[in-house]
Amino acid sequence: MSFELTILGLILVPLAAGIAAFIVTRFAAILAVATALLQSLFAFRLAGYVLSNGPLRYKIGGWGAPLGIDLYVDGLSALMVIMTALVGLAVATYSTSYFAIPEHGREHRSNVDIFWPLFLILWSALNALFLSADIFNLYVTLELLTLSAIALIGLAGTVKSLQAALRYLLIAMSASLFYLLGVALLYSVYGTVDWELLGAQMQFDLPDRCAIVLICVGLLLKTALFPLHFWLPAAHANAPAPASALLSGLVLKASFYVLLRMWFDVFPYADLRAVGNLLGILGAAAIVWGSVQAIRQQHLKLLVAYSTVAQIGYLFLVFSLASEPSASWNAWNGAAYFSVSHAFAKAAAFMAAGSLVFATGSAKIDDLAGIAQQQPVTVFAFALAGVGLMGLPPSGAFLSKWLLLNASLSSGKWFFTAVILLGSLLAAIYVFRVVAKSFEAGERQPTRHVPALMQWTPLVLALLSIGLGIVATRPLELLKIGAPVAIEKTP
Amino acid sequence: MSRLRKTELAKVGFGLIVAMIVTALGCAILALPGEESGLAGAVMLNLDQAGAKNPVTAVLLNFRGYDTLLEIAVLLLAVLGARALAVDESADDSEHFRSSINPVLIGFIRVIAPVMIIVAGYLLWVGGHAPGGAFQAGAVLASLGVLLVLADINWTQHLSDYSERILLTISLVVFLSVGLATMFNARNFLEFSPSTAKWCILLIEAVATVSIAVILLALFCCGKISNARKYHETTRGRVE
Repeated sequence: MSFELTILGLILVPLAAGIAAFIVTRFAAILAVATALLQSLFAFRLAGYVLSNGPLRYKIGGWGAPLGIDLYVDGLSALMVIMTALVGLAVATYSTSYFAIPEHGREHRSNVDIFWPLFLILWSALNALFLSADIFNLYVTLELLTLSAIALIGLAGTVKSLQAALRYLLIAMSASLFYLLGVALLYSVYGTVDWELLGAQMQFDLPDRCAIVLICVGLLLKTALFPLHFWLPAAHANAPAPASALLSGLVLKASFYVLLRMWFDVFPYADLRAVGNLLGILGAAAIVWGSVQAIRQQHLKLLVAYSTVAQIGYLFLVFSLASEPSASWNAWNGAAYFSVSHAFAKAAAFMAAGSLVFATGSAKIDDLAGIAQQQPVTVFAFALAGVGLMGLPPSGAFLSKWLLLNASLSSGKWFFTAVILLGSLLAAIYVFRVVAKSFEAGERQPTRHVPALMQWTPLVLALLSIGLGIVATRPLELLKIGAPVAIEKTP
Repeated sequence: MSRLRKTELAKVGFGLIVAMIVTALGCAILALPGEESGLAGAVMLNLDQAGAKNPVTAVLLNFRGYDTLLEIAVLLLAVLGARALAVDESADDSEHFRSSINPVLIGFIRVIAPVMIIVAGYLLWVGGHAPGGAFQAGAVLASLGVLLVLADINWTQHLSDYSERILLTISLVVFLSVGLATMFNARNFLEFSPSTAKWCILLIEAVATVSIAVILLALFCCGKISNARKYHETTRGRVE
């Protein structure tokens, strides 16, 4: 199969499958799992092409930038596509069981059939975003993502989820408009929306500065960086568990990816040192604030959601750390790899949490007391995902934090070193709070039986997030292709 | 009293921030290069290859057709979102609004409906060389649909859920198929040959008109056209 079919297939196959799943609801689940398997195949093929050929472009419509729209793939985007494929496959597998339960499915809402088309179109939007070379096209893909995310939050059908969905709608739409206004400004100055062409011409005049601020604010709102995270906990905690996994694991990474791309490939980031430091400090604040809030939560899914607020913070350290040339490669690499390992660990944590909530019939952490005996697999999955969140060796998060620590040491930014270590400690506290509770001795009422797929899928995904630290050579090799910062040897 | 002052202060502060943002943006817009920039020249240069004499249509359907494909998916997602968020269909109603249907409205629709259909067709066709196209034509058809719903004219009674879903998605299906079909000619996805471009664009726009109209109407009816019917049945039952 050729490169053209692979890159198009990654975008068009889930889109077509989403339409088919919408029309013929009966086979939607089978169709989604088949698509997910095919997508994993495509994703690894694409990485293979990038490894052997370097960054590649595909001209949609044959016009080429700047008149037409190009697709672009390099190491970073290929890695993001693989991340989406593996997390997507796990979520699809989990969801076949999750939505088969009457309580989550038909008994609860007649329109749960919508989940599958939403899931598949969301997938298509994610791949389209990671593979786009056009900042207006990125806006369209962000819209697709936002709309499917809103609907996914609302699928839970509770009053709280509807409120969270509506709030997310208002926030995310205004964020999109900020981004769009920035794109419009850049287009009227440079006459192109291709990010490579833009990056080659970008100055630092007043319109450029305004555009940079607008684009950053829009993307920060969507990525929920502290203090713009206020919409996130309610949205991610009230969505159905598979949707929470998608939103926390993948959707946030998409807007972060756009910002990372913009910052290093389009914006003159050497001139943005002050803004970069500000973003880094906000990231550090997010780590501390999110972790402390996670420790204080009474509800399991809210704890996991606040953990996302904290973990997003690590990603933003790159904007401060990478401004030192000696640290830029480690910082960029660490942030990119962190978003992958966080996607795996967080999706696993949300799915395990969903299984635990189903087993106990309660959302509270206190009601988990002693559950480890009855749900050993799920508790183990949650604990392993927790290891992936804390960043204990040999997890992927450990490696990423190691890279970030190296960057903070070599750039002399000791403050961030302290925050990264503190964040791991706080993460250990909130993970152990849940795990310790579930091992508490004493009588407890029998829990409901959790379907096998809902037990084992989170476990496999959590194991993958830990395995990411062991198999890191290949992904890090992949990240070097087309990397925007000067490559140094990795430790 | 002090609380009142606080909210006043917050309002003033908020206003100041907005004023600052507007000033900064205004200065940025004044600093933009004055002479024509952008891709207008490139579009005009390639217009005779594009299959549409209207540059807007050429950009939307040919040069950046991929964006339009995704935009139509956005519209479909809006319907999916409405279906996901809509509360139970018969939950609320406003009887006073529908209890009696104005005969003037029905008379008006008798006159306006054929005209609207012709206008939609005209807008669709004229899009090839002047402002117009599928979105405008679809909006006209959708507003006709809204009028029919308001007048309780039950034209959807033979429309099953299944065929409604097909109507909602048909433009995406056709758009994708046309894009893939172009690839058999050793061309890229959505790369129309100059000789067939006009017909490809017309086909996509014609089908898109239908889907856009159905999607907009579905949004008016909480995500499902058949909702409108149920709505009327429950209201009428109560009035009687």
